Amino acid sequence: MPISNPLRYDLNQIVGEAGVLPDDHLNRYQMDGFVPQAVVAPSSTHEIQDVLYYAAEQELSVIPAGNGTKLGIGNLPKKVDLVLSTSRLNQVLEYEPADLTLIVQSGMRLAALQAKLAEHRQYLPLDPPYGDQATIGGITATNSSGSSRLRYGSTRDFVLGMHAVQSSGVVVKSGGRTVKNVAGYDLNKLYIGSFGTLGIITEVAFKLQPLPEIERTVLLTCKEIGQVVNTALEIASSQLLPIFLNLFVNGVPFTEIAEPCLLIGLDGQPETVEWQIDQVGLAAKQNGAIGVGVYEATSQRDIRMSMRSFPEGGWASPIVMSKASLRVTDIEGFIHAALATGNDLRCLAQVMGLMGNGIVYVALSGFPNGDIPAESVAGALAKLREAATNVGGNFIVESAPVEVKRQIDVWGPVGRSFDLMKQIKAKLDPIGLLNPGRFVGGI
Amino acid sequence: MADRDQLIAELSAIVGSAHVITDPTSLTVYECDGATQFKALPDVVVLPTTTQEVSAVVKLANRHNVPFIARGTGTGLSGGMLAVNGGIIIALNRMNRILDIDLANQRAVVEPGVVNLLLTQAVQDDGYYYAPDPSSQQACSIGGNIAENSGGPHTLKYGVTSNHVLGLEMVTTDGEIIEFGGSVEETPGYDIRGVIIGSEGTFGIITKAIVRLLRKPQGYQTLLGIFETIDEASNAVSSIISAGIIPAALEMMDGPVIKAVEEAFHWGFPLDAGAVLIVELDGITAGMQSQVEQITEIFNDHNCREIRYAKDDADRQKIWKSRKSAFGALGRLAPNYITQDGVVPRTQLPKVLRRIAEISEKYNIPIANVFHAGDGNIHPIVLFDERDPDQCERVDAVNTEILTVCAEVGGTITGEHGIGLEKMDYMPLIFSPEDLALMVDIKEIFNPSGLCNPGKIFPTAKSYAKLGLETPNHSLPGK
Repeated sequence: MPISNPLRYDLNQIVGEAGVLPDDHLNRYQMDGFVPQAVVAPSSTHEIQDVLYYAAEQELSVIPAGNGTKLGIGNLPKKVDLVLSTSRLNQVLEYEPADLTLIVQSGMRLAALQAKLAEHRQYLPLDPPYGDQATIGGITATNSSGSSRLRYGSTRDFVLGMHAVQSSGVVVKSGGRTVKNVAGYDLNKLYIGSFGTLGIITEVAFKLQPLPEIERTVLLTCKEIGQVVNTALEIASSQLLPIFLNLFVNGVPFTEIAEPCLLIGLDGQPETVEWQIDQVGLAAKQNGAIGVGVYEATSQRDIRMSMRSFPEGGWASPIVMSKASLRVTDIEGFIHAALATGNDLRCLAQVMGLMGNGIVYVALSGFPNGDIPAESVAGALAKLREAATNVGGNFIVESAPVEVKRQIDVWGPVGRSFDLMKQIKAKLDPIGLLNPGRFVGGI
Repeated sequence: MADRDQLIAELSAIVGSAHVITDPTSLTVYECDGATQFKALPDVVVLPTTTQEVSAVVKLANRHNVPFIARGTGTGLSGGMLAVNGGIIIALNRMNRILDIDLANQRAVVEPGVVNLLLTQAVQDDGYYYAPDPSSQQACSIGGNIAENSGGPHTLKYGVTSNHVLGLEMVTTDGEIIEFGGSVEETPGYDIRGVIIGSEGTFGIITKAIVRLLRKPQGYQTLLGIFETIDEASNAVSSIISAGIIPAALEMMDGPVIKAVEEAFHWGFPLDAGAVLIVELDGITAGMQSQVEQITEIFNDHNCREIRYAKDDADRQKIWKSRKSAFGALGRLAPNYITQDGVVPRTQLPKVLRRIAEISEKYNIPIANVFHAGDGNIHPIVLFDERDPDQCERVDAVNTEILTVCAEVGGTITGEHGIGLEKMDYMPLIFSPEDLALMVDIKEIFNPSGLCNPGKIFPTAKSYAKLGLETPNHSLPGK
């Protein structure tokens, strides 16, 4: 069959037909209304380099992606031409269980990796949003992490080294594969959370954790939000070692729970977990909880999955998702500001707070008539941002309709270090090939 | 330096003449760090007390085109703070205040000259501590720890300095004052804080840090096993990790160290023992005993000769003292020693330790090993007499071979001491010219004049020659 589209023809030459997504699938990769001209999935570092050379020559922008679960994050793009997916680079390269480390290609899905590691009773203790579909590279590039960061840390804490292809095509290694390494600058940190603006991550070395013997979740409900907050902070400052301390207001996904509540994750040996369950019970009583007990999931989805899927319905529904990073003592005030925002906009404001980390997600949905009033939402988000920045925190909008994004900077102010960030971007991607416009300050 | 007097006068105007050191005898204090094989005398040392003073000194250094180097307490082990081209050492010892302790948020704000252990002591009565614990923690400063991204015996479970620093204030190389990160966990933009940590003082001068405080664990269990051979002890380490146990610390000493420690301090270790392994568990007491039993079983499976359990805190301190006294005891074995700092995958430990023994024999240079076995971070201690030039030459060959072995098995050349002056020649063992070129690019963003801590980290043409490698023809890093 003759190929009429010259771009398709050229890409087929570089990565083969199997590496170019059929045109009728392109919509899945749309970003804020921009549909890419092509989605290309190279099967080797070599092919990635060739795609980059080609894109530079043709002046096409390149949007690095894994499985595309976090493509919605960022300011409105300047230019969306090629999405470069790492999904065909999906192998474990080195894994020696007794070393408790591994090297994996960036396109491997976290879920597939966890299945492999589980055979040796090990895992990578990250549970980011869309953790079942998200890839290693995407998780690393977005520094995405979930509830268990309280006990185990975030992506940043688990990466030992990586290989990345710069926009010039040069392949660069940073870090290594040992759990300790201070040779040279720690350039891993540059790529982690850089949203694909500095290079294409091709492989990542991680440290791992042994799987705990057992894991339990305790559910604690209260009448007042303040009681939940106090219980959480009391546990956070105790000698207990919870995996997560997640507060929910206005619903827990895939459950019937409506009251303000706290889900507490506990893991380890049975005796250790039992003792902690008792301690949580005592803290709950002292803080006036109306209910406390080990939570048994009723639906097929387990409780961890339900937190990864906050809010129910996902980010795709007409919704505004935002995330504040605060000192834990500032969380309660911020939650009230978030709920007031919901009242002002006459919509539903749902809150998930990672209480030990000071991370608070706010989801706004259920707008009257399903219409999101862009101007008032933008104004409300600015106010909410102020509530966070006034106490030394940050506030980013992770997902919002295009009309809202036109009126806001999703990242918020960066401060005086921005000049250095611009210089770093200019050095690593001098022609501005990679994901232009999406990151802070229009990087 | 032509106008040294002028420089001194201007520095005195900034920090007061009492805080400017110029006389040669006093300057010798600042000629080296813990890696005493390297020495270089600075032209002048200043001791500022505020960020503004640091900024003014840096601006002055730029005007005079003079190198400037930050220094904490001089406990570094790679020559990272030496004034190799002369210049000004900015000693941060007087910036030693703990500015804020916020227990509810588990944070502290400290100046760079705060001694590591003093921060823990300031919060321990409230049940908190600062986790990174380099062996020099009684003396080393937090600013120095940040520059080197220091580790310590407990990094196996708790990570290194980078995992515990949330925010930094830094005087940039042109004297600007900029904050990175903050008091919260996430800040938008590139993680510049993360890149500054471990940059060995080449990106600017850290004047403030916001660090995490951790709640003290509910309990500890510490046990010590005496093994016939280092192979068996190494295999026990792998078995513990494979069993799903992550101890807070897993430390090993080999035969020569045991002998030296025993002769100096009489801990009652058998003189013919092959290895001593110290395991520390911490956390929630419920369930900990069953892990102790598991470890006991693993020890016995690997022909452990004797196991000692710490019954109480005094016992625990005693066990740790035997480990921490190792370096002191080794001073008795030779007039000088160099401590290497390679890291290898844990499963490679037995092989690498055997290779080190062979290298020791080949060059007739004694090597003792005391190290963080859980991390695979080895510290071969190369014993010699610096008055003998022939020995010095052999020691250099020994160092090269040891680090080459570490690189060959997928490891690295430094786990916690940094590259500094000491290991810049070995960087090509683990990084390609392209990898290094990117690091140089980043350095040039932060330090375009090259005046901030020059002459460190990057290999030279001589380094490539020493390793028998071809010198890369494009812009050589560290030019």
